[in-house]
Amino acid sequence: MRPWCSVRRRAVAVLAGLSLAAFATAGSQADDKKPHYPKPPSGEHAKIIPDAWKTAPTAPATAAEIDRLLAASQRAEKITPSPLTTDEQFIRRAMLDLTGRLPLPADVEEFVASKATNKRSQLIDKLLDSEAFCKHWGKYWHDVIVSRATDGRIKRGGLTRSFETWLADQVRVRRNWGEIATAMMTASGQVKYNGEGNNETAASVYLLCHSGAEAAVERAAETSRVFLGIQIQCAQCHDHPSDMWKRNQFHELTAFYSRVSDRLVRDTSAPAGQIRFLGVELVSRPRGEHQMPGQDDPKKITLTHPRFLTGETIARGSSDETRRKALADFVTSKENYWFSAAFANRVWGELMGQGFYQPVDNMGPLQQATYPEVLLSLAAHFRNSNYDIRDTYRIIMNTEAYQRQTRLGESVFDHLHFAALYPKKLSADALWESLNSVLGQMQLGQQFRPQGPGARFAGRFGLEGQFKETFEYDPSTRSDEIEGSVPQALMLMNNPQINQKVRANGDTILARILNSHSNNDDALKMLYLRTLARKPTTRELETCREHIAGVGSRGEAFEDILWSLINSTEFQTKR
Amino acid sequence: MLTHNEFVRVNRDGVLNRRAFIGSVAAGAASASALSFMDTVRAEADTLKKEGLSCILLFMQGGPSQFETFDPKPGASTGGPTKAIKTAVPGIEIAEGWEKVAAEMKNIALIRSMTSKEGNHQRAVFNLHTGYPPSGSVKYPSLGALVANEKFEPGFDLPSFVHVGGRGEGIGSGFLGMHFAPFAVQNPSQMPNNVLLPGGVTDKRMERRLGLLGKLERDFAEAAGKALVEDHRALVDTAANMVRSPRLKAFDISQEKDSVRDSYGRSPFGQGCLLARRLIETGVTFVEVNNSGNWDTHDDNFNRVKTLAGGVDPGFAALVADLKERGMLDRTLVIWMGEFGRTPNINGRTGRDHYPRAFNVALAGAGIKGGQVIGATDKDGRSVEKRPVSVSDLFCTFCHALKINPRKENQSNVGRPIKIVDGGEAVKELFA
Repeated sequence: MRPWCSVRRRAVAVLAGLSLAAFATAGSQADDKKPHYPKPPSGEHAKIIPDAWKTAPTAPATAAEIDRLLAASQRAEKITPSPLTTDEQFIRRAMLDLTGRLPLPADVEEFVASKATNKRSQLIDKLLDSEAFCKHWGKYWHDVIVSRATDGRIKRGGLTRSFETWLADQVRVRRNWGEIATAMMTASGQVKYNGEGNNETAASVYLLCHSGAEAAVERAAETSRVFLGIQIQCAQCHDHPSDMWKRNQFHELTAFYSRVSDRLVRDTSAPAGQIRFLGVELVSRPRGEHQMPGQDDPKKITLTHPRFLTGETIARGSSDETRRKALADFVTSKENYWFSAAFANRVWGELMGQGFYQPVDNMGPLQQATYPEVLLSLAAHFRNSNYDIRDTYRIIMNTEAYQRQTRLGESVFDHLHFAALYPKKLSADALWESLNSVLGQMQLGQQFRPQGPGARFAGRFGLEGQFKETFEYDPSTRSDEIEGSVPQALMLMNNPQINQKVRANGDTILARILNSHSNNDDALKMLYLRTLARKPTTRELETCREHIAGVGSRGEAFEDILWSLINSTEFQTKR
Repeated sequence: MLTHNEFVRVNRDGVLNRRAFIGSVAAGAASASALSFMDTVRAEADTLKKEGLSCILLFMQGGPSQFETFDPKPGASTGGPTKAIKTAVPGIEIAEGWEKVAAEMKNIALIRSMTSKEGNHQRAVFNLHTGYPPSGSVKYPSLGALVANEKFEPGFDLPSFVHVGGRGEGIGSGFLGMHFAPFAVQNPSQMPNNVLLPGGVTDKRMERRLGLLGKLERDFAEAAGKALVEDHRALVDTAANMVRSPRLKAFDISQEKDSVRDSYGRSPFGQGCLLARRLIETGVTFVEVNNSGNWDTHDDNFNRVKTLAGGVDPGFAALVADLKERGMLDRTLVIWMGEFGRTPNINGRTGRDHYPRAFNVALAGAGIKGGQVIGATDKDGRSVEKRPVSVSDLFCTFCHALKINPRKENQSNVGRPIKIVDGGEAVKELFA
């Protein structure tokens, strides 16, 4: 029983073995409150790919078409979408989504003042072409993958940073998602703790997140989750209780990874008698088959050969290279609906705050989805664009759906059916960047940023490391399950370094704002623009004026206001 | 304040744990009204929770050698130069270097027949912290979170799970949610990060700021979602309550007499044990002390363990003695363990390598009958000869001591219920 089954839903459609007709009837379940679980199709490999995929459009879609599809489904359920965002709201949202940064006051003013009718799509294009987008995208996918690592060594600075850089590089040189996914599944070679020479081989980190006896099993489970959005790992021990996956299907998938293994790279220049390791590497073994343990008696082993979820096989005894290349081909095949759908669902979910499937990596033939017919169109567009990453962001962000105001439903768990944007907590990186943008660059604590071999741990020290460790979360988590914590609240409330920057005297941004705006209302407007990327409301302005009058000291009062703004819910939320 | 947010579970200090809430009601959500469930939660919290039971885990990161701790094999080819010493309990001998623990042996029980399969640090540390092998998908909670979830004290204004030293290798509260996440104290001799008001901010000014924050949040609450602001406010209030709590001084070990601080040993670990005692005394449910040094002695094993033991022996012994003296030992489980043992064979660098096949654990308090040894290894310490104890058995034993049902299921992040411990049985002989 998935926890979110308890949440009331207005419409649920399930994609199992569906034809186009089934898609068409999705809306007619409008008033059904119970999820529908069709019987699993008979035959292991039946209907993993929905029939509708074969007849999906082959021409590029437009944002307007996605909106029309969505509107039709929403109308059938009598859902009224929220109004569109203001320009002020839009620029903050788009920048946070594409670059993980807040707009500066001048950016906001310029954007709001612009008379261009297509200024929103122009902004989207500009941001997608920026270096900040590449970095932000690299961080996001790094976190998606590394937050599930079962081998914590991978989190060492050199490895983790090389991987992040590699991911950003891929999107910078405009490799498509199919190529990037293939590079990760077929990677080989060394990655060093100090980052040296990792540029080419850093894709290995994807598989090196898991090591030891269970590595193949974890790698298979992660390949399915990350690239197909399918959580098949329950089937490791038994047939999946709430999906169609059989136990042998999981083990056949695992068999693709049965000949790749990891080992430590020894430092041959170490003095005799000393053992030092420089990094980790992926190596191919000449033989070895996956051994599926017996369900009741783990000692009863069945040798298991590679077969993909959709039924494709390869020659028995194939080499590691052949296996992993074949796996990558099957995964990224344009006939494989789930590869396209997983990416489209994830990007949509990240941008809208809620996915068609929730969480974004729990899809599959028998899982519930909201408006699967819209996802099918988006997935087809992604496939037709030859897995173009930027194009997927572009089409979604140009929809009215994305440009609507945020709100919650009756409870935080309600699926909004994309009638509004669901507010999402900022990632640790975005929050850190926001804080630096508002308060000025934090002291990096030079003494804690070691160079040379020790640098592999550098990311873990200093305020930045502490801050990110405190605020990090797994980006595949549903928006309504991302929890705050007491150490987070304490950090923003009391941290001495942060509070140093909240001061109205000395060389702080607040001091500069107060010096250049002798009128309190002007200073307040500037402060709001800087922290929340908007002007204060009338009530907020009045509250602040009263506060200033009550405190007596202008500097102290403004310190309190700035403190309140960075401790506010809104500052930490994409809205 | 939070009552109109019906889907949120509010517990002791107004903190929410939605996942736990949904998990608990998933099955009956359709029939039971959320409000009546809330009442149940409150009632349960008041009657069933802590019962005064607490736990302190002394974790020896790196894998301590059983030969140089509590299962010495003097004379055997695998024993090395390590000598055995007598303890306060006739017939029980442990390795030299543990004289103070030897003197407390009447209160301590040893398991010499631990056995597991995980020989990689990361995996074994995870295994010994959660009772499960690591998984990329299921976010298993660590023992501290499991115990805190079962035993936290309602209305308590400090965290229920504190982690002293080290970083716990990223094993937190997993699917149990942030409320049971370990609260980290890097250095036991200093107050934790960010709990003190920053310079220039008095209590009164903090009140003023909190008041202003509340007013400035109103418009966003109305526009984007009240529940969001309320969730956030609950955290801010919890943090503020902690900052203002008179109990916060439990973190300040400088309030202890010098003689007490000396008795625990002036090592970071010893002082961590003292902090653990102060925290448990003030009502914290679970403290993990994880700054005993690196026990991964691939080279120079004998000298290195001597130094490591020198830091741990006084702290461990003083902790048990102090808890006993204060009448707290009966209700506090003390666990000494690492992630695995070390090889019987001594390698070319006079080191010992990883060895999960046979290792040892020491336990005290919470009904554990001290002065006894469970199980045995063979004469060379190569394998368990008598009464093997698996990691699941060990976790069942912890549950038994702390009056937790090991088969209770928590709702996990992957949508299926996960037992606190899967399989295994408590080592009942340990209990009087």
